[in-house]
Amino acid sequence: MEPRVMDDDLLKLAVAEQGPREEAGQLAKQEGILFKDVLSLQLDFQNILRIDNLWQFENLRKLQLDNNIIERIEGLENLTHLVWLDLSFNNIETIEGLDTLVNLEDLSLFNNRISKINSLDALAKLQVLSLGNNQIFNMMNVIYLRRFKDLRTLSLSGNPISEAEDYKMFVCAYLPDLVYLDFRRIDDLTRELAEVKHQYTIDELKHREDLTQAQREEAQARREELEEHKAAFIEHLDGSFLFDSMYAEDVEGNKLSYLPGVGELLEAYKDKFVIICLNIFEYGLKQQEKRKMEIDTFNECIQEAIQENQEQGKRKIAEFEEKHLLNLSAIRDEPEMPVIEMKIVECGEDITQLFNTLMTLEMQLVEQLEETINIFERNIIDLVGLFIENVQSLMAQCRDLESHHHEKLLEISINTLEKIVKGELDEDLPDDVRALFVDKDTIVNAVGASHDIHLLKIDNREDELITRVNSWCTHLVDKIHTDEIMRNRKRVKEINQYIDHMQNELDNLEFGDILD
Amino acid sequence: MEVLREKVEEEEEAEREEGVERPSRPEKMTKLLRKEATTLTPEMLRDMEQKLSEIKVPVPGEPLTSDTIDIAKLPLSYRINTPKEEQLLQVADNFSRQYSHLCPDRVPLLLYPLNECEVPKFLSTTIRPTLMPYPELYNWDSCAQFVSDFLTMVPLPDPLKPPTYLYSSTTVLKYQKGNCFDFSTLLCSMLIGSGYDAYCVSGYASQDLCLMDLTREVCPLTMKAKEVVHEEERVPPKKYAIKPPRDLISRFEKEQETKRQEEIKIAEEKRLREEEERIMEAEKAPPDPLHGLRVHCWVLVLSGKREVPESFFIDPLTARSYSTQDGHFLGIESLWNHKNYWVNMQDCWNGCKDLVFDLGDPVRWEYLLLGTDKPHLLTTDDDDDGVNDDDDDVENLGKEDEEKSFDMPYSWVEQIEISPEAFETLCPNGKKVIQYKRAKLEKWAPYLNSNGLVCRLTTYEDLECTNVLEIKEWYQNREDMLELKHMNKTTGLNIDYFKPGHPQALRVHSYKSMLPENDRAMEFYESARVDGLIKREETPKTMTEFFRGRPDFLSYRHIDFGPRVKKLTLNSAESNPRPMVKITERFRRNPAKPADEDVAERVFLIVEERIQLRYHCRDDHITASKREFLRRTEVDSKGNKIIMTPDMCISFEVEPMEHTKKLLYQYEAMMKLKNEEKLSRHQAWESELEVLEILKLREEEEEGHMLTISIYDTKRNEKSKEYREAMETQELQKKQQWYQENQVTLTPEDEDLYLSYCSQAMFRIRILEQRLNRHKEMAPLKYLALEEKLYKDPRLVELLKVFA
Repeated sequence: MEPRVMDDDLLKLAVAEQGPREEAGQLAKQEGILFKDVLSLQLDFQNILRIDNLWQFENLRKLQLDNNIIERIEGLENLTHLVWLDLSFNNIETIEGLDTLVNLEDLSLFNNRISKINSLDALAKLQVLSLGNNQIFNMMNVIYLRRFKDLRTLSLSGNPISEAEDYKMFVCAYLPDLVYLDFRRIDDLTRELAEVKHQYTIDELKHREDLTQAQREEAQARREELEEHKAAFIEHLDGSFLFDSMYAEDVEGNKLSYLPGVGELLEAYKDKFVIICLNIFEYGLKQQEKRKMEIDTFNECIQEAIQENQEQGKRKIAEFEEKHLLNLSAIRDEPEMPVIEMKIVECGEDITQLFNTLMTLEMQLVEQLEETINIFERNIIDLVGLFIENVQSLMAQCRDLESHHHEKLLEISINTLEKIVKGELDEDLPDDVRALFVDKDTIVNAVGASHDIHLLKIDNREDELITRVNSWCTHLVDKIHTDEIMRNRKRVKEINQYIDHMQNELDNLEFGDILD
Repeated sequence: MEVLREKVEEEEEAEREEGVERPSRPEKMTKLLRKEATTLTPEMLRDMEQKLSEIKVPVPGEPLTSDTIDIAKLPLSYRINTPKEEQLLQVADNFSRQYSHLCPDRVPLLLYPLNECEVPKFLSTTIRPTLMPYPELYNWDSCAQFVSDFLTMVPLPDPLKPPTYLYSSTTVLKYQKGNCFDFSTLLCSMLIGSGYDAYCVSGYASQDLCLMDLTREVCPLTMKAKEVVHEEERVPPKKYAIKPPRDLISRFEKEQETKRQEEIKIAEEKRLREEEERIMEAEKAPPDPLHGLRVHCWVLVLSGKREVPESFFIDPLTARSYSTQDGHFLGIESLWNHKNYWVNMQDCWNGCKDLVFDLGDPVRWEYLLLGTDKPHLLTTDDDDDGVNDDDDDVENLGKEDEEKSFDMPYSWVEQIEISPEAFETLCPNGKKVIQYKRAKLEKWAPYLNSNGLVCRLTTYEDLECTNVLEIKEWYQNREDMLELKHMNKTTGLNIDYFKPGHPQALRVHSYKSMLPENDRAMEFYESARVDGLIKREETPKTMTEFFRGRPDFLSYRHIDFGPRVKKLTLNSAESNPRPMVKITERFRRNPAKPADEDVAERVFLIVEERIQLRYHCRDDHITASKREFLRRTEVDSKGNKIIMTPDMCISFEVEPMEHTKKLLYQYEAMMKLKNEEKLSRHQAWESELEVLEILKLREEEEEGHMLTISIYDTKRNEKSKEYREAMETQELQKKQQWYQENQVTLTPEDEDLYLSYCSQAMFRIRILEQRLNRHKEMAPLKYLALEEKLYKDPRLVELLKVFA
């Protein structure tokens, strides 16, 4: 028999066949059914070789493709709402192409040619997995299934592993939350026996899993902390990171640290430098807290104002609707044509009146919010300015320390040079260090280069901080403004839409009455 | 001591026997009493008439005289004085003589009235501090209420003089009547027993107080609790609070307006005040010619002990508390507790308003005995007197011992006892009526009325109490959990209140008529109902239901009924329900659904076949989606049935969606709504049935009015035990009779059956008898054991010495 292609006709036919019946069916026929409205699709015994053309079924919940000759799982990427997928009785060899189906709960791959359980990581909600009549021969595949916390039903019969003597015990032990195995309920006794039998290996496994879990959590926590620091623009300032980076690329500086006395000098320098860094760090956190509070208060106030305005609007609309309904029913009951017309005009006026009221309310809110936003903008900019100023002064202290250190280092270097020239130096110096002490210029240049590198590092850190905080501030203010504009547009659109609808309704009424 | 114990036993024995034989003894006794008293009435009446010629006595009652009391049964301490008491009487006599010498213009003191055995007893020894075994009587207000309820007031023989007799509290409790001195002595004993710093006060008071006349007082039950005005905390405006829109109203005009309003208000207030004054004037009592001379006795509770923050008076007749500055109290002669006796040396020209109750101040209060634990002058600049008091106590201990010439002897009065039955009965014969201003309060003991009525408050429109305004009836132990019935006579509205536990979870039922399909409102304990119904209101044409906590978020359902279609059969909701015209249902927001798909209100216009839906409003929107379905069954030009046309569903969508435009979607939605309409109609019909059922149940309950008896209520369950035994015996006798008659015709099997039944019944009867007897036997033994234990307790040896 010729393999069938999954083309549009096949799909249309299936959809029409499986669609609504009777009166609803007539309607469906009349209107046609869009693929994206289909929730469930059955395509069994169609001799399909390749899954294709399914991308339009975005809202599909249940898909049956069993009893075909499919060889690869593909073309299912778009069906993200899929809950139930049946691919049993096909010719699939590997599990693949299921990474986007995060909502899948029931997966059947019964009677295929699968030899390894893998590539199911995305299916966090998986509850039922049917893998019977396949070619799985390695018992370790079961361990892979431990990650599915909701898995309750599993079938593996008809695989090479199910021949094993220990098969049932093994599965029960390694998947303790499983309720049904191979279509049978696991009784408590079996579970207990299995647990006892495999206790040691499972304990070990659990221990390892716990360890990885703990490590993952720790890493996560560290990442979050770093994110927090980054949000405060003072990341890596709670230690010697900046100081270390200053010396990381500084060849001369490292060489010079071998000079007598420089070691202690460097130690003292580092301590002082780190203290200033810590000061910046703590100050940054505090400022971050302050900015956050400012934003929270602002958002809260804005929300309150909007809420109150909305309540007012809702009240106005409710009042209007009450009156409008009475008017409409009065018009319907009115026999005299001129009176009807007069009343319709009155209703029209009411609608215009409502429109004006709502728009006035909105305009009022816009004005109020604008004022508040401006005040907030000023405050936040001031806050950021203060932060920058203080950070700059602290950074200046760093620079002073560096200059001080530079002077000391220079003095020691020149002394050492003099000693070397006089041949009075007692200590042994490495050759590359000694190479610097050729003449005065070389040594002064070397010390100077080291100094320049250090200053550059400090400047870079400072610049980075300032640029980032400034851009954050601009972004924040921009976002508030755009949000407000968006809100305003949405509200105006909503009002207009509502008024149009009311007006339309009134016009239709007019029309209908004339027809009658 | 030995004698005493025998006495107690004897009495107990006697009481037990009587209790078994005839539980209605108190009634008979009082009857006896009354008979004897009538022989005295002529002279008594004449005497009274002379003295109280112009006074109306609201509560008549014959005073207790020594003739009616069987003094032979009273303990020895009642009949004779111990040497110590004799000595005390001498001291008192001496004190009295000195006093009359020093203050010749003052009334002689009341110090040692005669008791029921004609023996003079000093006032303080008549107070017998007792802590009652009932937790209800631990606080002063309940104590006072009990005394005032339990005793019947007898006016003083001479309203201008203190009585010459003062009986022991045990006698007073036995006969349940007494004058204000008896009331005060009993109340004071109880209050001191439960730790209060209480004193009996002898002095002068207003006519109303002396005669227990409450007709000029507003009933405390009618007073509405003062509304607590919640001062709304003004939240300081937040930093970014928006500025209010500019106010465009003229301030001047506003000011003028408020000025005008205020003037009107002031005028109104003035008018109201004048009105009030006029009414007050009309209600005022006629002036009393004996004002300020009427002798009264009441209780003073001083601050300090039992966390009493401020000293106050209790009138024992009415159980009301007054401030020490109250205008009803016109003067104090003396006051006493179980330890000492003080004479007031302060001027009472301004009633009790200026009196200072610092009993340690010898200038203001002259004491009889030196060296009791009160005599500390409170110095005004003493801030930490609490601490000082303790110190002084310790320091003065030795001093006092030296100086103390005499110590108050122990009370001669027997232990005050109130039996649980008497305590439950509350009032003499279990019934009491109090007349208030424009109100009458009636009280009954629980289980006295077969319908469980315990209290009734009738409010009147006028002072003469002829036009009833409303009646409130309180019930207890009702099987149907009815708690309060409120009947408004002017509007005809009845409101019944229920405690939790009614079979239909009813909480409040207000109605004018018990007929169905009338104005009524029923409130329910919604947690006890599966459907979460809180309230159901009815008018002849509508029914409104309110719900809470339902899984389908329904909160409100309103049904409009049309006129009933005439049928030949009987008209009732069950056989021929009224047609429903309109059903309105409202739903709370279901957070699991998006607002555009969560219906807020749906209206089924049943006659027009129209369904209106209003959806919830989105959080950031002011308009909500609406949809209206109109079912038209029409046929198109070709004769085919039109299933669905676009004009059958008119919708307004806040955010237009693709799929809702489809006819199929609309058709399915409409079909679903049709089904739900059916369900709603069914539920409405069920509600109607339920109303009928509740009304029927209520009627049955009102007729049956069953009372519940707690399983802890040993008295009533004892009765039931006896009853059971009697039943059991009767049945056996019947069976035996039957056996005698049919003995000849019986088969062996029947006979076996009968015999086994007999043996079983006998066994049950025997068990019941045994239980009863064991209780009878065990009780006295237990009492004896307790007494033995008390006797041997080293801590109580001191007390026993006094008795010996």
